Amino acid sequence: MKLNTYLSLAAIAIAATATGALAESGATLKTVKERGKLICTGHNGSYPGMTELDDRGNWAGFDVDLCRALATAIFGTHESHLDIVPTSWAQRWPSIQSGEVDAVIKSTGWTLNRDTEIGLQFSRPYMLGSVNYMAPVELGAKTPQDLDGGTLCLQSGTTYERYAVSHAASMGYEIGMVPFEKTEEMKAAFMAGRCDAILEWDLQLAVFKALELPNPDDYAIIPAPVAAEPLAIAMRQGDDNWVDIANWTLSVLVAAEEYGITSANVDEMKANPPTPEVAKMLGATPGFGTVLGLEDDFGYNIIKVIGNYAEIWDRNVGEGSVYKLPRGVNALLRDGGINYPLVID
Amino acid sequence: MTDMTHPIPRNSRLEQLRHRFLRTPLDIAVTAASLLLALFVGWKLLDWAVLSAVWTSPDGLSQPCRDASGACWAVIEARWRLILFGVFPYAEQWRAAVATAALILAGGLSCLPLFWSVIRQALLWIAAFALFMVFMHGGVFGLSSVPPAQWGGLALTLFFFVAVVIVGMPLSICLALMRRSDLPVIRGTAIILIDGVRALPLVTILFTAALILPFVLPGWLQGDKIWRVIAGFALFFAAYQAEVLRSGIQALPRGQEEAAKALGMGYFHRITRVVLPQAFRNALPPTINQLVITLMETSLIVIIGFFDLMASGNAAYGTGEWSFAYVEVYAFIALIYGVFVFSLSRYGRYLERRLRVGSS
Repeated sequence: MKLNTYLSLAAIAIAATATGALAESGATLKTVKERGKLICTGHNGSYPGMTELDDRGNWAGFDVDLCRALATAIFGTHESHLDIVPTSWAQRWPSIQSGEVDAVIKSTGWTLNRDTEIGLQFSRPYMLGSVNYMAPVELGAKTPQDLDGGTLCLQSGTTYERYAVSHAASMGYEIGMVPFEKTEEMKAAFMAGRCDAILEWDLQLAVFKALELPNPDDYAIIPAPVAAEPLAIAMRQGDDNWVDIANWTLSVLVAAEEYGITSANVDEMKANPPTPEVAKMLGATPGFGTVLGLEDDFGYNIIKVIGNYAEIWDRNVGEGSVYKLPRGVNALLRDGGINYPLVID
Repeated sequence: MTDMTHPIPRNSRLEQLRHRFLRTPLDIAVTAASLLLALFVGWKLLDWAVLSAVWTSPDGLSQPCRDASGACWAVIEARWRLILFGVFPYAEQWRAAVATAALILAGGLSCLPLFWSVIRQALLWIAAFALFMVFMHGGVFGLSSVPPAQWGGLALTLFFFVAVVIVGMPLSICLALMRRSDLPVIRGTAIILIDGVRALPLVTILFTAALILPFVLPGWLQGDKIWRVIAGFALFFAAYQAEVLRSGIQALPRGQEEAAKALGMGYFHRITRVVLPQAFRNALPPTINQLVITLMETSLIVIIGFFDLMASGNAAYGTGEWSFAYVEVYAFIALIYGVFVFSLSRYGRYLERRLRVGSS
């Protein structure tokens, strides 16, 4: 992947000098509407939970559902209004810069370099990639501190090593590191019981647990996050309207969950909105969509077609999927997580 | 002198076997051990791949495989269309099948001596490509349009390979001839092109063609990503194949061309009637080699976001339901590659026999 990274940086450098690569506010929405299609990133293969393909070659996954939500916000439906283009990791930045895709929704972390030097602009995070420990249940560890004096299998040279060291230092526990070259070796060592815990993004842990461990119930993800990487939608710098659309699309998903609006009861809610905010969000009263350049009922459309945040979560990574990933930090604020909607006034 | 060279009895096959494998006690031991090992591995493999394997899953789920000790071929049953056609719209996949069949058929036909002329090859491939585009791309005759971003699987891999070779082969002939030219400018251009392209890794060329060219080319010249990448890949193929051909040309005795000149043949006739046919004959083994390498290297296009055979294989097992069955998926893909490469090399052997390469 080294070469790929280098190449994509070279592409960015050329992009920056060749075009300036700044989008105007509203330009992306105009292009998308004229084209009649939103073009969104897929994956060159499969990334379990986030981007997968079903037996009929249809895309599925958390990231894919967000692409659908964005297309639905603009067109009222994503059917024949959304093209998902297979995209490799290295290709993400050149693709967005050259306008080949309109948004990168590809488990992408919001980092300084991407935000500034690569010339991207991020939406509000749609998921917190929480980094957690996983340990055998019989160890009885409920918090990271319970792992004091234990050992940790990890891949050497990754950020996880740094996370573990600094977390252990600041939280006052000691954990011995057993480094491995490759992820596979690390996983095999953990399965063979050579260490007490592993440290990974909790979705990856859930995938590993559900798909590879022989007795998934014998292992538990320790809920307290050690570190976190915010995943957000990446867009070209400069188009503020486009960022607004992405932000409010994401906000609608979270707000709907908070207000108890689901794809099943959204018609009922629109007919008898419990609060003025809900009425506005679902388009029963005007003013929500037009300020963004969208239809006033775009919020209703998203919930009707895609569902709220909880529905997307359950379907792709949560209880409704094989991964059974608990919401953890991605729960609503009222449930102890960090997810909250923006305020509709 | 002891009798070191006692003659091999040729009376019976059994005697020969005994002589080769069971002459001394050590021979017997080695033979027995090898046989046992082969039997053991063979049995294990047979047991995994056939006897204990799960061939089908009635509801398309992986449950029947979870308890089985053998291979789970049900994954192929459930996901084969994904592997062969990638993200091509499901309801339209018959079109991808027809398009792929057209390419394979054309490939088969072009191998027949009946089609061994430039005109016939050209006509055949133009027809095959037209057919491929009509069915795969659509947009005409009431077929819905499917852009190349949605092509995938075996259909994409084959199209890519064939397109690269069809574009690259004539290009390589041009480069090889240019490189032998007496005019310094032409020769120099060819040398710079060939050496320049060979100095770059294929990944760099693909990446440039797919992602960097759009920034520097004007819009009307860009075309779809797939054409730019095919052009870049074809250039890469041509640079190597040109050198292969040049070796074939240089193996010809100088007198051949001189004799043709003495007979009053013009450059075009000398090249097409005397030099190239023999050069191709000489360069046949490395040419087949180059073709096989190119087929394998098409899997690199995955890094620029094409959904080729390898990528769709990855997607086929990359879901919660089937993630344990990656060995079966890779075995299936290996089989597909194997069939094509094997046919290529068998055809190469047939050609060598027919053209008597190596003898003469």
